[in-house]
Amino acid sequence: MTTHAVHRGTRTSRTGVLLAIAVIIGLLSVPFWAGRADMRLIVEMAYFLALAQMWNLMAGYAGLVSIGQQAYVGIGGYALFALAIHADVPPLLALPLAGLIAALIAVPTAFVVFRLRGAYFAIGTWVAAEVFRLVLAQVTALGGGTGQSLPATIVRSIADSVDGRDRLIYFTGIALAVCATALVFLLLRSRHGLALTALRDAEGAAESLGVDRFRTQLWVYIVAALGTGMIGALIFLQKLRISPDAAFSVSDWTANVIFIVVIGGIGRIEGPIVGTLVFFALRALLADFGTWYMIVLGGVAVIVMLKAPQGLWGLVADRFGLDFFPVRRLVRSWERGPPARNDA
Amino acid sequence: MTAILRLEGVSKSFGALKVIDDLSFSLRRGEALGVIGPNGAGKSTMFNLITGGLTPGAGRILFDERDITRLTPPARCRLGIGRSYQIPQPFGGMTVFENVLVGATFGSGKPERQCHESCIAVLETTGLLGKANRLAGTLTLLERKRLELARALSIGPKVLLLDEIAGGLTEGECQALVETIRTIHGNGVSLIWIEHVVHALLAAVSRLVVINFGALLAEGEPQAVMNDPRVQSVYMGIDEDAA
Repeated sequence: MTTHAVHRGTRTSRTGVLLAIAVIIGLLSVPFWAGRADMRLIVEMAYFLALAQMWNLMAGYAGLVSIGQQAYVGIGGYALFALAIHADVPPLLALPLAGLIAALIAVPTAFVVFRLRGAYFAIGTWVAAEVFRLVLAQVTALGGGTGQSLPATIVRSIADSVDGRDRLIYFTGIALAVCATALVFLLLRSRHGLALTALRDAEGAAESLGVDRFRTQLWVYIVAALGTGMIGALIFLQKLRISPDAAFSVSDWTANVIFIVVIGGIGRIEGPIVGTLVFFALRALLADFGTWYMIVLGGVAVIVMLKAPQGLWGLVADRFGLDFFPVRRLVRSWERGPPARNDA
Repeated sequence: MTAILRLEGVSKSFGALKVIDDLSFSLRRGEALGVIGPNGAGKSTMFNLITGGLTPGAGRILFDERDITRLTPPARCRLGIGRSYQIPQPFGGMTVFENVLVGATFGSGKPERQCHESCIAVLETTGLLGKANRLAGTLTLLERKRLELARALSIGPKVLLLDEIAGGLTEGECQALVETIRTIHGNGVSLIWIEHVVHALLAAVSRLVVINFGALLAEGEPQAVMNDPRVQSVYMGIDEDAA
C-alpha cells in the first residue's frame, strides 16, 4: 500500500527562516548604534520594499499590471494628514486608518479600471491616479496645489524628541516591510495563491476549473491598495510635508517600484528584496552624476529585461535551485503507511 | 433517458462569419458522444459555448434541465462541466499536483486539504502520479494531454468535454488513453469527445455527431453515421479507417 502526503518547504527554506530572523534582529538593533541618516535610508529602503511587494503581488501574481499605484500612496498620505490635522487622530493610529481609506476608495476605482484589460488597464490606472491628484489639488483644507506641512504640535505628539520620532518611524517602516513580505508569502501559500498563479499562467483554463477571475483580482487590488495606502501614510509621516505632485508622483512611487520588481525578479517574493538592494546601490553609486542616474537606471532595466526576463534573482535561483519562500506543494510517497497514520 | 446537456438552436457569429449555425443536439445521462467534423467546422467553438468562454448570439444551453446560457465559466464548472483544451494550457509555473488541485478545490468549493486525496486519485487514474512534483511547464506533449484530462477530472465532473485529446499521440499512447477514457466513462461520467483520430473515438463512444459549417450534418449510431454518403463526402478519406 502506497501512502501519499503533501508537504511544503525546501532545504533552503529552513535556512531562509534563520536568515530572515537574523536580518530582522539586525535591523531592529540599528537604532541603537547607527546615525539618523542611516536610519532614514533604511526606512526608505523598507518602504520601497513594501511598495515593491504590493506591486509584485498585483503584476507578478494577479496579472494586474498597474502604473497607477501612486494613487494609493497619495491617498494614504493625504488620509494621514487629514485625520491628524482635522480629526485629531494620533498619527500612528491614523496609519492603519489611512490604509483602510485607500482600500475603500479602491473598491469603486476597481469597478472602473477592471473594465479595461492589459495595456488599457495599465493606462486606466494611471488616469485614475491623475484624477485623484487633480481632485486633491482643489481641496484647500489640505493645502490645495501647494500642499502643506504637518503642524509642529502634531509632529511633537508622535514622540517628544527627534530621536524618539525617528525610532518610531524606523520600527514602523521595518514592520510594514516585514508584514508586506509575510502577507504576500502567506497569501501565495493559501488557496488564493493557487487561484492567482493559475490565472497568471492560463486565464481561460483557470476559469474553466472554477476560479473566479473578477473576484480574485478584485481582492488582490483591494489588499494591495490597503498596503500601499499604509506605506503612503508612513512615507509622508516621515517627510512631514505633502503636496499633490509629491504624493501622486508616477516616477517616484510607480516607475521606481516597477524597476525594483523587474530587476529583482517579477513573480518571486525574493525579487523585490534583491531589486531594492540593487536600486539603492545604483542610486548611491550614481548620486553624483545627475541626469545620468536615470539614464543608467533605464539602461540596466532594458538589459535585464532582454537578458534575464526572470530578473537577477531568477538567474541565481534557477541556477542554484534556491527558493527561500517555498509556496509549492510537494507530494511525498511511502511504500507503506507513514508511522503517523495507520492505513491498511 | 433524460438529457444531461442540451443545445437548443445555438448560434454564434464572429463578425460576418457564422461559426455555429442553429445547432441543436443533446447528451444523454451516462452517454459517451463522439463529435467529428472538418477543421473549422466549429467544434471547439461549440465547447467554448458550453463551458461559457463564449456566449451564444442565439439559442439556449441547458444542463440538467437548467438554463446555463448566461452563467460564467467558473459557475458552470461548479455545476460539473469539466473540459480539456485542444492546445494544452498547463499552469506552467505550478507543479502537476497543484494544477490538479486548482480544479479540485475551486471546482468543488471545498477547502484545499480536503482535496489532496482526490487529487492523488486523479493523478493515479491519468498515470501522472510519478510526475506530481514536476513543473507543468516542463512536461512532454503526452504528459500535457494527460494533465488536461487530469484537470478536467479534478473538478469531479458530471459531464466531461474532451477536445482532440488523442491528437499527436503514438498508437500505443493512444490506446492507453482510450482505456483511461473508457474507465472514466464506466464510472458514470457522461462525455462528449471531439476527435480526428476516428478509430480511437469509435472505440469509446456509442453515438456520433457530425458537424459541418457549424451545423449538424448527421447523428446516430457510429457505423451508420460513418457510412452516410454525406459524411463521407465532407470527411473524405476517413471511411476506410472506420470500416
